[in-house]
Amino acid sequence: MKNFLKYLTILMILSIFSVTVYSQTSTEKKDAEPPKESSPADKIIVQVDKNQLSGGGKIIITGKAPAGRDVYIEVWSEKTVRAARLDADPDPKTGKRPYIFYMTDEMPGFYRLILPEKYKSILEEEKAKGKKWSVSEIIKKSGADAVYGYPAKIKIDRYQTTLWESIIGSRGTKLEPMDEKENKRRSMQLLKARFRSIGNVFSSNLKIEEDGNFKASVELPANAAPGKYFVVAKVDKDLKSEPLVVQNDVSFPSVYLPNAGRTVNIFWPFLLTAAITTFGVLMGAGGGFILNPILVMLGLPHTVVAGTVMPTVLFSQGTGIYNYSRIKFINWKLGITLGIAMLLGGFIGPKLTELITLEQYKFLFGWVLIILAALMFWQTTPKYIEKNKKEQAILKEFKKRAEEAAKKKAEGGK
Amino acid sequence: MKIEFWGQEFKANLFIGIPGAFLIAVVSSMFGFGGGPFMVPLMAVGMRLPMYVIVGSSLLAIFFNTLMGTFRHYGFGNFDLIFFLIMFPGAILGGYLGPKIAKKLNPVIVKRVACVGLLILALQLLGVF
Repeated sequence: MKNFLKYLTILMILSIFSVTVYSQTSTEKKDAEPPKESSPADKIIVQVDKNQLSGGGKIIITGKAPAGRDVYIEVWSEKTVRAARLDADPDPKTGKRPYIFYMTDEMPGFYRLILPEKYKSILEEEKAKGKKWSVSEIIKKSGADAVYGYPAKIKIDRYQTTLWESIIGSRGTKLEPMDEKENKRRSMQLLKARFRSIGNVFSSNLKIEEDGNFKASVELPANAAPGKYFVVAKVDKDLKSEPLVVQNDVSFPSVYLPNAGRTVNIFWPFLLTAAITTFGVLMGAGGGFILNPILVMLGLPHTVVAGTVMPTVLFSQGTGIYNYSRIKFINWKLGITLGIAMLLGGFIGPKLTELITLEQYKFLFGWVLIILAALMFWQTTPKYIEKNKKEQAILKEFKKRAEEAAKKKAEGGK
Repeated sequence: MKIEFWGQEFKANLFIGIPGAFLIAVVSSMFGFGGGPFMVPLMAVGMRLPMYVIVGSSLLAIFFNTLMGTFRHYGFGNFDLIFFLIMFPGAILGGYLGPKIAKKLNPVIVKRVACVGLLILALQLLGVF
């Protein structure tokens, strides 16, 4: 018990230390270049009320554009994240599914396209469509096609995949890079895949006066990435302002998760994991069943949730195996035979995580949980309890014998 | 397949065991949880093995899955080191506290509570409410 607490303290200090070191190096690494701008005859002037934020906050953007023109404002972060999407929608003409996997590592962690107030109804219309809303539709209808700039130029890789290739866990054959127009179109789909809801991509609070003065605001959430944010006001492709830079700082105990692309206060995932693992032990199932859906609902990408929660149980499983093997309570032949089948399954699963959308993840996970709940319920039926009592008694007896045997052997060894 | 465990011989039905273990591994590595609660019923009901054979061996089988899944997720860039370092001590703390509390509680009641909790979570994921 004393030893355990000691190790735990050491472990926590180590992890906090490495978190600080890691977050420092990762901020140094990336220096996104501000976009180049042209120098048009007409000018747009833009200013922000503050250049420095701490842990998110509201920025008021004001400026002046030529009178009578629509102004749009793009805001994006220098920090980038991954976005991916499998295009399996049947072709409207041929009905064939393309199975092309689009992926980028250059999606900004934060993006907002602020539309003039008069386009509010377009956003409402798209919201009414539910999950079928489309970025390109909004951009087209609000006349923002020429000003949609930054994400259109991110580097998107695409892979031709097949069912078979997904099964053996390959991303498929990498295809030629796309042309500018196609890249732009696909970037809009990836924006939706990454940001999930209209409010995370668009807003329509840009007030434009008759004389061309405009005013808008953008709220950086508390979980926004640290680093530089760029603000550009645009009228069309060539007529745009210089990019303004706003710096967002994140300080301990908040840390930025580079793969998940958001800032968290380190205490809540720690407490959440501790609480849920405790409950997981009580109900006899790992904590992942409860932890993963909650993390996903809190807005973390499902790929990162699956990929990061899984390793946390490696250690406890390893200790468990060691303890059982010490008392010879493992049948290696059986364990390894089934283990090889599971090894193959474990090879395929993570690939599927990447291919499915968040909606599919939630849907399938929902059914997994219903099956699990049914299993749990079955384990509380009187018949099962009766049988289990006997089994547990035999298990205890066997364990006792095994422990004694192991003890004897250890003493004999000395 | 015949297996021997503490002087007793058992027949393990691999026609159910191997496809079942494979499917459980696909699903659990896809969603990132351990497969324990599914593996134990598979081996107990599907393969008709007694509990004392299952406890250790199922853990060994699942370990293969977790290990492979971890490597694959890492390879696909789904692993976030900082997030892991925050959650890992939490998981250890939970693994330490859990058994201590478990002794004081009635497992049947805990399971029924878990059952309701899981259903609520499931319905939320399915978008029912």
